[in-house]
Amino acid sequence: MKRVGAYVAAGLAALAPVVAFAGTAHAQTFSFTPYQTSRFDAGTPNSSVVVRNHHGVIISYGDSAIMYHAPSSTLDALGQALFLQNCASCHGDQANGIPANGTPGAYPNLIGLGPATIDFWIESGRMPAVDTAAVEAPRRPPRLTHDQALAIAAWVNSLDPSYPYIPSVNLKGANVADGAALFALNCAACHTIEGDGDALARGTYAPSLRNIPATQVAEAIRTGPANMPRFTGNLSDYQVRDIVKYVTTEIQHPRNPGGFGLGGLGPVAEGFVGLLLGVGLLALVGFWVGERQ
Amino acid sequence: MSDAVTTRRSRRQSRGPYGRLGSALNELDDRVGVAKGGRSFLDKIFPDHWSFMLGEIALYSFVVVLVTGVFLTLYYVPSQAIVTYHGSYLPLDGTSMTEAYASTVNLSFAVRAGLLMRQMHHWSADIFIGAIVVHMARVFFTGAFRKPRELNWTIGVTLLTLAIVNGFLGYSLPDDLVSGTGIRIAYSIILSVPLVGTYLAFFIFGGNFPGTAVIPRFFILHVLIVPALIVGLVGAHLFLLVRQKHTQFPGEGRTERNVVGSPMFPVFMAKTTGFMLIVAGVTALLGAFAQINPIWQFGPYEAARISYAVQPDWYMAFLDGALRIFPSWSFHSFGYTIPFEVTIPAVVFPGLLFGLAYAWPAIERRVTHDNALHNLLDRPSSRPKRTAAGVAVLAMLSMLFIASSTDVIANFFHVSLNTVLWTMRILVLVSPFVAYPIGYFIAKEIHATRGGGRRKTVNVVQRTASGEYVATPAPAYGDDVASELAPTPVPTFITPPEAVPPTDPGTRTVDR
Repeated sequence: MKRVGAYVAAGLAALAPVVAFAGTAHAQTFSFTPYQTSRFDAGTPNSSVVVRNHHGVIISYGDSAIMYHAPSSTLDALGQALFLQNCASCHGDQANGIPANGTPGAYPNLIGLGPATIDFWIESGRMPAVDTAAVEAPRRPPRLTHDQALAIAAWVNSLDPSYPYIPSVNLKGANVADGAALFALNCAACHTIEGDGDALARGTYAPSLRNIPATQVAEAIRTGPANMPRFTGNLSDYQVRDIVKYVTTEIQHPRNPGGFGLGGLGPVAEGFVGLLLGVGLLALVGFWVGERQ
Repeated sequence: MSDAVTTRRSRRQSRGPYGRLGSALNELDDRVGVAKGGRSFLDKIFPDHWSFMLGEIALYSFVVVLVTGVFLTLYYVPSQAIVTYHGSYLPLDGTSMTEAYASTVNLSFAVRAGLLMRQMHHWSADIFIGAIVVHMARVFFTGAFRKPRELNWTIGVTLLTLAIVNGFLGYSLPDDLVSGTGIRIAYSIILSVPLVGTYLAFFIFGGNFPGTAVIPRFFILHVLIVPALIVGLVGAHLFLLVRQKHTQFPGEGRTERNVVGSPMFPVFMAKTTGFMLIVAGVTALLGAFAQINPIWQFGPYEAARISYAVQPDWYMAFLDGALRIFPSWSFHSFGYTIPFEVTIPAVVFPGLLFGLAYAWPAIERRVTHDNALHNLLDRPSSRPKRTAAGVAVLAMLSMLFIASSTDVIANFFHVSLNTVLWTMRILVLVSPFVAYPIGYFIAKEIHATRGGGRRKTVNVVQRTASGEYVATPAPAYGDDVASELAPTPVPTFITPPEAVPPTDPGTRTVDR
């Protein structure tokens, strides 16, 4: 009997890769629309500070590094009006990705993404999109104001309250050296070690970090817009604060003690300068000194 | 009748006409005989054409590399022992790193002129190899490598190889994130050599990557072994140059049997010393104003970290480009793996390329059956097939060079990375076949055109008093007839006055 049990166990073990493969195959058939944000529940905030209103609903959570605030529910009505004007033609009037006259499923469902996601996409100027067929929505000057973005985030959040809320980073006491190490480990593989961003596969790219405000850096880390992974469990609020500090100081204002930074392009720019300005200039001097016939 | 009384005048007279220095040199000559060799060396004739200065850029930037490199060795610590940084650069404060990286950051920020020296060292290394390549192109396209100078061509190709190797070794020494990635790639390339790859890699790295031996080993190679080889070969290169005398472009009064140009002393010596100072000056300006390799931004190397948009220095870029665009082919069988995607672009291809460079004089002689001695240079247009072959190789190398920055191009021009990748694959394969006929026909056209490759002189049209128009060609440009220099009197202590041959202004002619 023991032996039979072992055979059954072995058979099940042999089936496991097949099941796993079927599982991955199923996962791969899930189609992402271009602007899809990685979607999973961030869970209940497990923070040292949790603030509830008189209905018992969490309105703020966080710690001394980052506080996350829900946009005020008094903005809901304004947010709905703005959403119908600016967003509903693609995302549908219920923000569920099903427009009144359009292909259902072609556009992202915004329910349950959390106010930080909505705020990030609007305040970075990516939404409302100009070219909805583009592979990547480029960063632009924002078309809606900060308050309007908060209002839209408040209304979408009122449909299905979810996390993360909009972060407010307290940079006091941040450790820029830890931020540099965390940046090299988590961010440089796409955004480059100098923060200039670079092209990824098939027309997507990691954007430059040179002109991004602190709040949006934290929002991007916590929500994972477009191709970016969503960093939730593996980075604490203190670590996110350190990264934000590093990005907003050393990345955005490099000291360049060695002279002109050459655009942060590294050896590509250095090679051109060395060959054209170095060898080229010296060859011209040789041309001047020597005989030309 | 000499008595014991010496006066200032008698002492002065006893020293001869050239004073203290002259008598000191006389004493030296009595013992080691410097006059005979020194005299002919001071008489050495250098052609004045500007393209002969390109090799000098390489020579003098090598001098700058040596001088700045000696400075850097005083502060650099070639060790992979882990330390915690507590220096003046705050964004790295408290970070653990290797001593090699910590000492490089320290010599950049805590040593007076350290960053300037480091940047000058790096810039002059870039210029050194660039000047070698340009000099090599000049030698190739003018046929200066032909008999009797094949040996010097071989030494030159070896020098280029050693310079590239040493550039890579030096780039690796700071042990920052970017250079550590470069060492990782070099390790993988060595691994990809069929059959012996793993043994070779373990031999060089003293075990598996990264280990703790690679930085000390690279250091001793970088500061002692490879530079000693380079210095020795540069000496041999220059010895052969003096022994065989310079080549020269064909022209008035220039034959296979003579050399026309300026003597070493005083004309060339003054010119070349000035040029050396200009090379050092341009390097110092670059080192002072253009930031190169900001390793403090990259952070220390750790195997788990990687930065995107990382390229090697420009002279390794053709290899990086070949690696980037090669399709992912590999061989797995009989318990062995041969990663063709690494072996072919990074081992076989550079082997073929440098093999072709070494073999070129022999290949050309086999094709042309030309076994004569050549001291007069070709104009590139008069050898269209050689010129076209050189253009084709350079076109392919340029495309590989560009292919090493596929990501930067894609990001800068907002095109898909995949499009850039496929474009570069096609361009690398197609470019030599497009460049060859273009180079060939342009060279042939210039050669066939009368006065081709030279500046045209204008026709001056004048109206005479009787209303007639007369067109007369203007005199040739001063540069083209080389007559703007006043004759330089040859110092009598070099050549007796009666032996001064009649020459072109400013130049002298000696027999070989």
